[in-house]
Amino acid sequence: MKIQVTQENLNKALGSVARVASSRNTLPILANVLIKTVGTRLSISATNLDIAVTHYIGSKVTSEGSITIPARLVQDFVSSLPSGIIELKLDEYKLHFSTGTYRSTINGISSEEFPVLPDIKDGKEWTIDSGLLKKKLQQVIIAASNDDTRPVLTGVYFHSSEGKLKIVATDSYRLAEAVVMDTKHDMNLLVPINATQELLRIVSDFEGEVRVTYDDQQVLFSVGDVELVARLIEGKYPNYESLIPKKFDTSAKLLKSELLNITKVSSLFARENAGSITLEVDDHDQTLNIHSIASQLGENIASTKGEIKGEGSITLNSRYLLDALHVMTGEDIVFSFNGKLEPSMLSNPKDKDYIHVIMPLKS
Amino acid sequence: MGSTIQEGILWQSVLGEIELSISRASFVTWFKNTHLIRNKNGVIIIGVPNVFIKQQLERKFNPMILETLKKNGVENVEVEYKIQALDKEKTNQKEELIILSDQSSDRPKNKVSSLSHQYRQGLNEKYTFENFIVGAGNELAYAACQAIVANPGSKYNPLFLYGGVGIGKTHLIQAVGNEILNNNPDARIVYASTEQFVQEFVDALRFKKNTDFAGFYRGADVLIVDDVQFLAGKEKIQEEFFHTFNALHQANKQIIISSDKPPREIPTLEERLRSRFVWGMSIDMQNPDFETRCAIIQTKAESHGLELTSDVTEYLANYVQTNIRELEGALNQLLAFCEMRELEPTLDVTVSLLGSGKSRPKHISPRQIIEKTAKYFQVPMEDIMGPKRDKDIVVPRQIAMYILRSELHLSFPKIARELGRKDHTTAIHSIDKIEKESVIDNGVKTAIAKIKEKLYV
Repeated sequence: MKIQVTQENLNKALGSVARVASSRNTLPILANVLIKTVGTRLSISATNLDIAVTHYIGSKVTSEGSITIPARLVQDFVSSLPSGIIELKLDEYKLHFSTGTYRSTINGISSEEFPVLPDIKDGKEWTIDSGLLKKKLQQVIIAASNDDTRPVLTGVYFHSSEGKLKIVATDSYRLAEAVVMDTKHDMNLLVPINATQELLRIVSDFEGEVRVTYDDQQVLFSVGDVELVARLIEGKYPNYESLIPKKFDTSAKLLKSELLNITKVSSLFARENAGSITLEVDDHDQTLNIHSIASQLGENIASTKGEIKGEGSITLNSRYLLDALHVMTGEDIVFSFNGKLEPSMLSNPKDKDYIHVIMPLKS
Repeated sequence: MGSTIQEGILWQSVLGEIELSISRASFVTWFKNTHLIRNKNGVIIIGVPNVFIKQQLERKFNPMILETLKKNGVENVEVEYKIQALDKEKTNQKEELIILSDQSSDRPKNKVSSLSHQYRQGLNEKYTFENFIVGAGNELAYAACQAIVANPGSKYNPLFLYGGVGIGKTHLIQAVGNEILNNNPDARIVYASTEQFVQEFVDALRFKKNTDFAGFYRGADVLIVDDVQFLAGKEKIQEEFFHTFNALHQANKQIIISSDKPPREIPTLEERLRSRFVWGMSIDMQNPDFETRCAIIQTKAESHGLELTSDVTEYLANYVQTNIRELEGALNQLLAFCEMRELEPTLDVTVSLLGSGKSRPKHISPRQIIEKTAKYFQVPMEDIMGPKRDKDIVVPRQIAMYILRSELHLSFPKIARELGRKDHTTAIHSIDKIEKESVIDNGVKTAIAKIKEKLYV
């Protein structure tokens, strides 16, 4: 194998791929990246057996070949090289790098040892704008669970319902649902949270169409020169729709920035109390008060004006409320609930495509 | 197809052979959760956990699998791979019915359910009577523990063991638990460090599961509580402990407690607990004497498959005089050093490794010794250095001289000068006297041990 690539391209590819390679895995070769010539391009891949990421970059291929080399080392190494042309030459299992005044050799392992990366033969396919995907993913994945004891909840659920594509995540304490776009496909994809996090990183500096190909077991996201394959989580996603309240006794339309601010302040006093803050709504003087107590340190009451219907109070985890407010768009926000024990909901009055449900804390 | 091997066993034996021919990591990664789904009409279907493994088996390992199948008498077959989790994992796939639980009722439940741990938790099986070395300092404690194993709950209840760090309290009380469990596997043994007791108590209060907590500890046949001195100053918990103690004692259940000080010296321990601790039998575990230390070293070395010469053993026994943990540390250091350099553990090697001569800690000054001694006896330091000859001054002064000699190896004239005496014979006489008294007078002996302990903290 003998090729020439630019440092910028190689560095960028390693940046999106190397993170997937993990030295914690039992199989040592999974800490390596696979470098392979594909026609006139060079592919760089890594996998942790849950997901696999491949980045293609343009290169001048003099002779073909492939090798795997340690991901961490090569990433750190290439990122510190000066920009310009790097020449890679494979000599048995040693990969020689030369650029400018640098001459380095990295010992590799045969690419024969590297796992076969899955491909999708006859899958279904659809496309989505990367900006839209990015926005919707950001809004939803905060609600996914990290708890492996309920594997289904560690996934982000892409599904179609009444001709719409929806993305949903829940950890059973909160739930986020975003309506993405119209679709003709009928799909149920449960994509692992780590795959969606990786996908989010990849789409964040890309503009254009993302192609999604899937079958029963796996899904492939093609984002420009990058491909991400993930296994799908098996299992049936809970019937979450029945949990979203349809009617509310109490609702408050507020300025989002105001609510964010007073929630932040209140959360400071709620640290020792598992983040618990109490929101009190009063339609008489049209205000929402947030009350939090730190028994040792003191207490806090903050309030904001808004359009209020009904009255009542509810206790929430301030962290969940903050997470949701951070990802929501629009100037105004509607916060609605039904008494102390029923789920509460945040929505944007101008954009019905996103809702966020938070369960109360029992006080 | 002349398969004589049954389906399930067939795949097991294929796996067995493959395991031998590839690396452990590869085997675990690729083959661990595979299973045979069907073997029919020349097609074998293998269940695999996910798509990555499926691809790998299809593309890389298929020839090897076919080859191995052939060895097992299965020829001319096709192997297909299908993603299907094992039955065990399938149960997870049932639809999750209840979601959006409210947080406060969900989380504490998980937390407190940890209270229903088994009744043997905390016991470490490596602590047994067989590997406990009996010497003059601990033979009484050992005998008492043996008696308890023979008749739990009837003799010496509660048993209260106290003594400095690293002299085997934990070993001994754990050995009791393990031995009782050996004799009667159904016995409910609860071994808890005081810290753990406190933590669980706090959790129980927080999640209002007090009855679970009380029920767990009061349901024990043998309650072993380590390092009880940490109860000091925690009144509410002392009260809970008091009730637990009473309930168990009433029911003739064995209670074993260890501490680093005798009950009367644990500050802010409630009187009613204090008196209960000394109710049964309280035993002072002393530092191991020279012979015991030698025996410990030899046993430990043997368990590493090494025999030490007597000069090395004696050197080590002199090197660390109080704490068995440190003694083991020194021994391990020596063994590791010898193993690495492939040396015989001779006296020269030992001395060069651990430092020469007596273990004289450079950072302790004569003044510190006198100060600690004065503090221990609660007499002013000036009095010890001064001319007074009252008995409550003379004894501390003599003990200070003894420690100066034994710890810092100062000369007699130097010792005399340090304490403001003119004549070095005074020092000789004092040290001689304390040496003799420390053998017969327990008060003197503990005083010396305590002061030494303070010095090396």
